[in-house]
Amino acid sequence: MAQNNNSIKNRPVKQFGGSTRKTIGENGNHFLKQMIGETRTDISACYQCERCTNACPVSHFMDIKPHHVVRHIQLGWRTELLKSTTIWVCLSCEMCSTYCPNDVDIAEVNNHLRNLAAHSSIHPKESALAVFHQTFMEQLQKYGRINEFRLINAYNLKPGILKNKIKTGTLKEEIQLGLSLFKKGKLKLIPRKSRAIKEIRDLYRHKRGDIV
Amino acid sequence: MKLSFYPGCSLEGMANDYARSIAEVFKDLEIELVEIDDWSCCGSTAAHSLDQMMSAVLPARNLAASEEMGLDIVTPCAMCFNRLSFSLSQIKKNLVDLPWNVTGDLIIYDMTRFLAQDALLKKIKNRVIRPLTGLRVVCYYGCQMVRPPKITGFSDYENPLTLDRIAETAGARVLDWSYKSTCCGASIGIGRKEIQESLTKRILQKAVQTGAQAIIVSCPLCQSNLDIIQKKIPGLKLPIFYFTEILRLSFKENITKKYFKMHFTDPAPVLTKIGLME
Repeated sequence: MAQNNNSIKNRPVKQFGGSTRKTIGENGNHFLKQMIGETRTDISACYQCERCTNACPVSHFMDIKPHHVVRHIQLGWRTELLKSTTIWVCLSCEMCSTYCPNDVDIAEVNNHLRNLAAHSSIHPKESALAVFHQTFMEQLQKYGRINEFRLINAYNLKPGILKNKIKTGTLKEEIQLGLSLFKKGKLKLIPRKSRAIKEIRDLYRHKRGDIV
Repeated sequence: MKLSFYPGCSLEGMANDYARSIAEVFKDLEIELVEIDDWSCCGSTAAHSLDQMMSAVLPARNLAASEEMGLDIVTPCAMCFNRLSFSLSQIKKNLVDLPWNVTGDLIIYDMTRFLAQDALLKKIKNRVIRPLTGLRVVCYYGCQMVRPPKITGFSDYENPLTLDRIAETAGARVLDWSYKSTCCGASIGIGRKEIQESLTKRILQKAVQTGAQAIIVSCPLCQSNLDIIQKKIPGLKLPIFYFTEILRLSFKENITKKYFKMHFTDPAPVLTKIGLME
């Protein structure tokens, strides 16, 4: 028995920060299986060549690099992924998926993780981006088409956004930009609704339930 | 020739100069564009980020409308093209449950790809009366138009050539560069501006290094991104043209400074230099 306790399997793995993390395989492979099934891409085919990370234009701003995202899924580290900045910073520019030698659709995987995070109780690390996407969907439900002016106004009225903009001083810059856009005739203040607005609201109700 | 036209939300607001130049060019080429009467937004980045199912359903409304008219779709916006194509691929695989009847029997054209067909290039060549000789340009495609190749159908995703061929037909000298389809970061421009700015600045910097006098784009978001940021970079004056504006320039005699008043970076100095504007 004593020998058993000292075996490699039971020893907690020391991380660089000094904290301990679960060992490989302890979470089982159900998360991997779930992701493979839902994204229809063979995540276990990855051999960590890092082509995706090298191709990614924003990997510099990510806490978990794209090839590590795939590794995290293989190890079943779901919570770490949903808490990461990576899933929100991803631009969906599809560089990673296009150049993957094993045809792992990493952009789709990232996108699916973003969906999971949006439907979980985990607070998104990049809340501004999550709030922006949410505002976009609400505007689409209300009007059927998107108008830049109305979208930005609605976004600014979301909790915490305006306060943050005043604090960082970007609000002044934004107002100046808005004014010059207006002078150039690029802003449409009274936008057109889509004529199919009723159909779109019904679609939302049917597919997503009453949210707004 | 007749096609159904899906403009996308940007062309009603920020990019209404793009919409105007498209209307003029297609009138000159005698191709009829029928705008889908009650089109709705394709959902863009937000829909696929938060709700993948909606991102397949929302564009399908427009596909259904176009099928009803019995016409192929052409769209000028890169993101719209990407989302419509994605939706069509999902419909063909029978993965979405739709309230409308869509058979998937239509072609979705990206506008540059449509105009870069041999027959239409010939037509364009016949219309050119003022070739843009002496104008050195680079073409910037952005990310959503060419990738992922499985969905967009671009086999030359490493080095797309549709815009290059159109610009060459208009008489410009097209330079090779390696940032044709690098992302400009528009999708996170509002939440994380600093990331978007770093990406956009790099593209502009590389275009200058290549020796270009202007950049030609086809995506409304790329245009406003690359254009607006130049106010912050002293000494940089690189006009960003929509490819339809370039065609318009070469088709007609009378073009004044006023035509480009919606641009932040004034293209007048460059155009005067090559003798296309007084």
